[in-house]
Amino acid sequence: MAVFQAALINEIEKLYKKKKVMVAIFISLAVIVVGQLIIVGMRTGFGLRGVGSVEFPILVLSVVVNTILPLLTALVAIDCFSSEFSNNMMRVTLTRPVSRFKIFTAKVTTIVIFILFNLFVLFAFSLLAGFLFNANSATVAGFFKIVLSYSVSLIPMIVLALGIVFLANIFKNGTSVFFVSILGFLILKAGAVLFSQYSSLFITSQLDWYNLWLASSFPFSRIGHQLLIMLGYGIMFFTAGYYLFDKKEY
Amino acid sequence: MKLKKKTVMLISFSIGALLFASTALADIVSKSGYEQLKDGLKTTAEKCSEELDSFTIDISMEVKNNGETLMSSNDVSKIDRDNNTQESLSNQKSINGDNYNSYNYSDDKVRIRWNEDQDTYYVTELISESSPTNFVNPFDEQGAEDVERIMDAVVGSLKDHVMVKENPDGSKEISGSLSEMQIPALINAVSSFQLKQEFNGRQSALPHLTQDIFVKEVSGKSLINSDGLMESMLGTAILSGKDKQGQTHELSFEVLMKMSDINNTEVMKPDLTGKKVVNDVERPGYGPEINNPEKFQGLFKNDILIEKDGKYVKIGERFVEITNIDDSSIVGRYYEEYRTDYEQYAAISQEFKFDANFENDKRQANFEYSTEAGNTTNVNIYLDEYLGKVNFHINQDSGNVLYDSMFSRVFD
Repeated sequence: MAVFQAALINEIEKLYKKKKVMVAIFISLAVIVVGQLIIVGMRTGFGLRGVGSVEFPILVLSVVVNTILPLLTALVAIDCFSSEFSNNMMRVTLTRPVSRFKIFTAKVTTIVIFILFNLFVLFAFSLLAGFLFNANSATVAGFFKIVLSYSVSLIPMIVLALGIVFLANIFKNGTSVFFVSILGFLILKAGAVLFSQYSSLFITSQLDWYNLWLASSFPFSRIGHQLLIMLGYGIMFFTAGYYLFDKKEY
Repeated sequence: MKLKKKTVMLISFSIGALLFASTALADIVSKSGYEQLKDGLKTTAEKCSEELDSFTIDISMEVKNNGETLMSSNDVSKIDRDNNTQESLSNQKSINGDNYNSYNYSDDKVRIRWNEDQDTYYVTELISESSPTNFVNPFDEQGAEDVERIMDAVVGSLKDHVMVKENPDGSKEISGSLSEMQIPALINAVSSFQLKQEFNGRQSALPHLTQDIFVKEVSGKSLINSDGLMESMLGTAILSGKDKQGQTHELSFEVLMKMSDINNTEVMKPDLTGKKVVNDVERPGYGPEINNPEKFQGLFKNDILIEKDGKYVKIGERFVEITNIDDSSIVGRYYEEYRTDYEQYAAISQEFKFDANFENDKRQANFEYSTEAGNTTNVNIYLDEYLGKVNFHINQDSGNVLYDSMFSRVFD
């Protein structure tokens, strides 16, 4: 465990040093500011309420889970793997007395921590903006719902990250991984619209699954189904990704 | 050690694949609440248009402002497909507080309409063997499938919010509700904006919403019986907004549709003894084609006016003389005549002969003619059977003179 911890800290520090985190914070902040400006414009211009203070974080979430969150996650996931392949950093990492499984897990955990951090930043900023600029509609239940939505959004993001990690282990080049990821993301999104009856099978449609948790009559079976599908995806991607990572020679 | 690791990986991958495949299969096989709702609608529409002998449909609508009824309507239609009869009773309460009732009855031979203001029954005898199609299945119409696909895409992930409760007797209760948090922001904004246009303060009885407008809740509930027929459907939407004084208005829209007395509805012809009755015979049904176009043969005219010293003055007349007309062609002459005081306008006067073929509908003909200056102009002729007039439209700029393209018959 101590070895794993050391590997994890090592990975986190590497990520932190690369300023990717600052970029993530900056983009998240920009999205919230732009979103808030649109809402304020809509309110003064058209007289529509747009959103109340509680709904604003949900609105932000609904936008970012389909746009910048997957994008930033892809960037970080690719950074953790592909750029180390090309920098030959991986050799250095692998010469340490740590098993490949632990390194792989440490890298994945780092990505998860990054997603968690990014969600938290979005949550905190949007909540703040919501309270500062929007009509007060806050209730304890509303606050709880926001926390819940942001928390459950972590799960599909992790699955998505594992998918990208898997891709990163197939292609060595970071740029091609990035493009394949984006292309795949768009294809899956379009597929979900075209074949709407099968949309629940596409990993990209699970990104919106926090909506289910907000439903007034709690849809147990749907949430269970989606959880199982994501778990299935997650296990497959993790195993396949690790298999490739383990077999690779540097 | 190496082998063991591989085995573990294989097992773990298989578990993942198995989890995914079994859930996915279950997902595809089982019908979602949204699909069941759609099936209910389709089955109902199909049975209503083809299978059921008779049924009663009751549709009520109500708009409330802070719990106070703004307007409402209630329609009861009894349809007997077996005997080809139907009657409907409707009641409407408008925004101004007016109450309006109406009653209609129809069968193969007669159509009866009751007018509330005059308390009179208008009985129209049908001469043509018209078959009042009681109910057309909207899912059989052209393009229905495309509309359905678009709807599916729009509904998107919202369809997960449709819940199904199956009762032991085989009936199903389908319900769904969306709070403001779940209604996609874009849909909420667009519909709020639309409703803001409705409640714009032009009608004094309606609240004038100016700010903080949003859709608060949308919910629906439907009951499908064991035969797959939708027995009732209730839809509710709540909109919230503030007026200029900052007072909050909560507007609720409710629609309730009920289907009852399936195969058990009796349509009764109203008893008219002792009632005020106006008898009438149906005008011959004007089909898509004119039966006897010869009736349009003759002279048609309309007036040419100008505006002079704040008054309209007639300066002349335009004439269309149809000299020969049959199923396929129309032959005649167009000319203008000006009064002696206004001879100066005669300079722009036109005169030409035409010989045009009818379009497929046998009411319309188009042709081109060349003016003296050598320009070609399009002319459209339309025979208006309802008004007994000819629409003769010359595609040109009329300048200062005023006229229209409707020509009335000249009778001696």
